[in-house]
Amino acid sequence: MPLPEGLYCLMAEFDRPGDLVRAAQAARKAGYRRMDCYSPYPLEEAAEAIGFHRDEVSLVTLIGGLLGLVAMFGLETWIAVWAFPVNIAGRPYFSWPAFVIPAYEWTILWAGMSACFGMIALCGLPKPYHPVFNAPNFRNGATSDKFFLCLESTDPKFDVAESRSFLEAQSPLSVVEVEY
Amino acid sequence: MGNESFSKGLPSTLNAPAFVDSWRWKALIAGIVFAAIAVVLAFLGQAQDPRHLGWIHFWRGWLDGYVACFGFCFGGMALLMVQHLSGGKWGLIVRRPLEAMCATWPLIVLMFLPVAWIGATRGKLYIWAQYSNWTDALRKGLIDNDQAHAIRWKQPMLNAHNYWWVSLVCLGILSLYCVLLNKWSLQRDADPEPNVAYWRTKFENLSGFGVVLFAALLFVLAIYWVMSIDPTWYSTIYGFQYLVGEPFMVLPLAILTLIGLSKAEPIRSTFRVIEQHDLGKLCFALVMLNIYFAFGAFIIIWSGNSPEEIPWYLDRIRGGWGVIATLDVIFHWLIPFTLLLSRDLKRIKGKLSVTCCVMIFAGFWDLFWLIEPSYRDAARDLRLTWGIFEYAAVPAALFCFWLVYYLWQLKRRPLIPTNDPHLAEILEHDYVHA
Repeated sequence: MPLPEGLYCLMAEFDRPGDLVRAAQAARKAGYRRMDCYSPYPLEEAAEAIGFHRDEVSLVTLIGGLLGLVAMFGLETWIAVWAFPVNIAGRPYFSWPAFVIPAYEWTILWAGMSACFGMIALCGLPKPYHPVFNAPNFRNGATSDKFFLCLESTDPKFDVAESRSFLEAQSPLSVVEVEY
Repeated sequence: MGNESFSKGLPSTLNAPAFVDSWRWKALIAGIVFAAIAVVLAFLGQAQDPRHLGWIHFWRGWLDGYVACFGFCFGGMALLMVQHLSGGKWGLIVRRPLEAMCATWPLIVLMFLPVAWIGATRGKLYIWAQYSNWTDALRKGLIDNDQAHAIRWKQPMLNAHNYWWVSLVCLGILSLYCVLLNKWSLQRDADPEPNVAYWRTKFENLSGFGVVLFAALLFVLAIYWVMSIDPTWYSTIYGFQYLVGEPFMVLPLAILTLIGLSKAEPIRSTFRVIEQHDLGKLCFALVMLNIYFAFGAFIIIWSGNSPEEIPWYLDRIRGGWGVIATLDVIFHWLIPFTLLLSRDLKRIKGKLSVTCCVMIFAGFWDLFWLIEPSYRDAARDLRLTWGIFEYAAVPAALFCFWLVYYLWQLKRRPLIPTNDPHLAEILEHDYVHA
């Protein structure tokens, strides 16, 4: 795949979280969808403002848990019934109550692992390169005290001149163009 | 004595209300009816069963009911000692019902005599007593090699003589504890001074060693009375299951007693929702501990791959017993567990009563599942003869008679211990803590 070239986004910098949230709300209202907020700490209002309502981590966790349950129960059944049947005093091979504990343990284990790795994967991590770091003001402030709103160039409504004037109307500290 | 402005004041009467007498009459009548049914069932069973097990089933049912009543009496004693050690308001409110339970020890000793006489001396309940001459029995094919081996090597412990004196010594020691706990409690009430430290230390010193001793003696008695029915099998966790199984029935009975008494003073104003909720939570803990031991014992034995131990479970699963075992899990764990999860349920008297009844019923059901398949004529072969219903009739009769004695003891003294610092707390209004 060829590397994308050209403009990645227009980035507005804000001093206060409230300004960022208000700008994000205005952008969404104006019809922008492909955008993102960056803040030094989690900002639930910002996530809400750009229309990020729910995630799929719980579904991934459920599927992982069920897979763990089936995997261990199946493994135990396979071992006890087909692979290595042992006749102890006429004990039934398929004695499912005795399989409950390992199956339960694997349910939790797989659910927990799915939640952890599913969350990381759904976040798009690991990501060794991201264009926002091309902006020097982002590198300086994004993890300490500055709040950023990016309108991405892939948005159908995006237009360099129009979007810049929209962002400048939100009274940011600065608006910069970020290249890939 | 606490903050007076929050206090409701002590009710004017502290004795049990008059309707306890009508409960006693009802229990007595029910007991007589069940006893009559039991006798009829024994005759029917004797006539119907080709093996003539009618009266044998009667005495097996007696053993079942006896072990349950023993649990109500001395399990109550154990819980009483635990609350003396732990302290707390919940302990004060159940103290008198528990004391009344453990004051029934003379009846428990009396109920034991037929078990020992019929079971051990005449050998009707225990195979090791029936065939103490194992060589002869083996030659005639009455017992198999495993049984003969077990009877032979366990004879120093499992013989009628030792059965009698070990049981009576254990019952004697436990009864002494019951007497002391009851006597001191009344003396404490009569004490004109609070003397908190003195009385607390006195009860703690008795109870601290007492709970350990109780556990040890209970293990011995559970082995002699129930586990030895099948001398070929043993388990080291067996005693623990009784140690949890007894409070599993005692605590619900104490709660039912309080809920019943709460229709009138003095319990109406002293049995608050807070303590009811606490007792419900303790029930929930017992439900979890009980399934932990029962399932743990199963998983260890089942996965241990030892052909000497697994048949004990197979005896209790195959030939129709699987239904009883499944229902045992449902009554013992699934129903009380799911019900007691609810916070509201523990705080509503009517619903908590139903849960308590289920738990007591489950205790009897479990004993049936433990006892009857231990006999070779019933192992892996559940036959719904008339005789099998003795396990319902005889325990019900014994329990009813025991209830008569228990309620009589309950009426003999004030329902609230007055000389205790926790008294001020239970006299506060609900909303003080809510």
